[in-house]
Amino acid sequence: MSNDWLTGPILEQLNSGVLVVDEDFQLVYLNSFLQRHSSVQLTEVKGKSLFQVFADVPEAWLRRKFASVLELQSPSFSSWEQRQYVIKLPHLRPVTSSSQYMAQNCTMLPLHDPTGRRYVCMLIEDATDAFVYQQHLQTTLQKLEQSNRVDGLTQVLNRRYWEEQLKLEVQRAQRYRQPLSLLLFDLDKFKQLNDQYGHLGGDSVLIELTARVRALLRDTDWFGRYGGEEFGIVLTNTALAGAVEVAERICLAVSSKAVTFHEHSIQSSISVGVAQLDTTGDRAHEVLIGQADMALYNAKKEGRNRVISYSAGETAFMVKTV
Amino acid sequence: MNTVFSEEQRDCLQELINVAMGLASDKLARFLNTFVHLQVPAIELVNSTQIPAQFEAQYSSAEAAFVSQGFLGNGGVRGEAIVLYQLDNAHRISALLGYDTDSASELEMLTDISSILTTTFLNGLAEQIDNQLSYSAPRVLSSRQNNVTQALIDTACHWELALKVDISYQLIDHSFNCDMLLLIPGEAVLNIQQILDRIVEEY
Repeated sequence: MSNDWLTGPILEQLNSGVLVVDEDFQLVYLNSFLQRHSSVQLTEVKGKSLFQVFADVPEAWLRRKFASVLELQSPSFSSWEQRQYVIKLPHLRPVTSSSQYMAQNCTMLPLHDPTGRRYVCMLIEDATDAFVYQQHLQTTLQKLEQSNRVDGLTQVLNRRYWEEQLKLEVQRAQRYRQPLSLLLFDLDKFKQLNDQYGHLGGDSVLIELTARVRALLRDTDWFGRYGGEEFGIVLTNTALAGAVEVAERICLAVSSKAVTFHEHSIQSSISVGVAQLDTTGDRAHEVLIGQADMALYNAKKEGRNRVISYSAGETAFMVKTV
Repeated sequence: MNTVFSEEQRDCLQELINVAMGLASDKLARFLNTFVHLQVPAIELVNSTQIPAQFEAQYSSAEAAFVSQGFLGNGGVRGEAIVLYQLDNAHRISALLGYDTDSASELEMLTDISSILTTTFLNGLAEQIDNQLSYSAPRVLSSRQNNVTQALIDTACHWELALKVDISYQLIDHSFNCDMLLLIPGEAVLNIQQILDRIVEEY
């Protein structure tokens, strides 16, 4: 097959794999690229079954592919995007690529010799570079998506994404008739705190308190930064009484322990407004925010460091001190 | 550039396509081990800018797929073959080809089906005009995630003329419908017209 002075050397120096099998999947030819990459010698494997020499190729799949090439006398293809490799081979970027094996684009072609005997030729192209770029792209897109959702300082959800989730959870709660509650809380006297310890001090309090609050929440709750020092928590499948309990725990977790910033010990507290979803319609999530905000306002007015829940139609409010 | 086909050229092309379809269905039947009945394909030459609108209604659902494969022959015959089908239709034929229906192999199944349909048909066409075609790897341009119509608009603008071939395969116990589009650039249309004229002269 490689006697010809022109095509022989080209085949041998080609930077792609060339493999030929007969109708019984017995190896007829492997070019140098494949011999080197798979550490086999053509003289040793010629006439042996492809599946014996390359024990980990997907046999059923390859038989099906080759059958279609032989029967239909038309080419068949395999892309690394769907099947990363057909034959496990090392690639030439062992250091700069994260993948262990060469990503391959394969083309399977029908062949016959002058006597009419039929063969399948498989061309294997190294697509590792494309594979590596694709992986970089995907990691970057994931990071981008993440940073598009998260508040840079506190690592809780940013306002836009949090509000989207609130809206979806409100719709879900309405559809499945499940209770849903919202907590809005605000760090007490944040301006004073910033004036006293500087903005870095204020920031470190925000970072520490969000970490404490997060530890008290379930995976299904949505915790986001609503404004400067104001945060919101969507409690799914939770009625008012349960939400008040969570709110009190959060309140206590913040006030019970001071935040250490450099040599300072900063004492802080939060006020929490709680409301349970009780309206329907497109603007239900806005109404809910308004109700929780009203409760939060009352908690501030009542002296801070406390939880107040909104109750419909009442002018007096339920007061709970921690 | 006159890319309008004369009536003679059109008839000749229809005849070539009928024979190619016959050859393809014969090969498919032997390969799939089942009887394959192919309706005489309806062909239509359309300006490529009209294509998206033509397919919008039929394939606007999210469950349609669109696979492209380039072809290149001697004498300036080249173009892009596009197979459009509904995914539930594709699953019927995938069982015959021995695929699982899990989503991991869905893309592979789609490209395989399209490649088999395209290459068997086009090889049959090439055989009749003493040509040989080589093919690029098939590529799914649109599936569940993307909008078929937008993908068609993006693709169709690169081509002058499209040969629309409606193919309907009837297998025993399975029916499978798809549309094949052969998108052909202007100068390749002229080359194909010359080939058709030669064939018409010979008869």
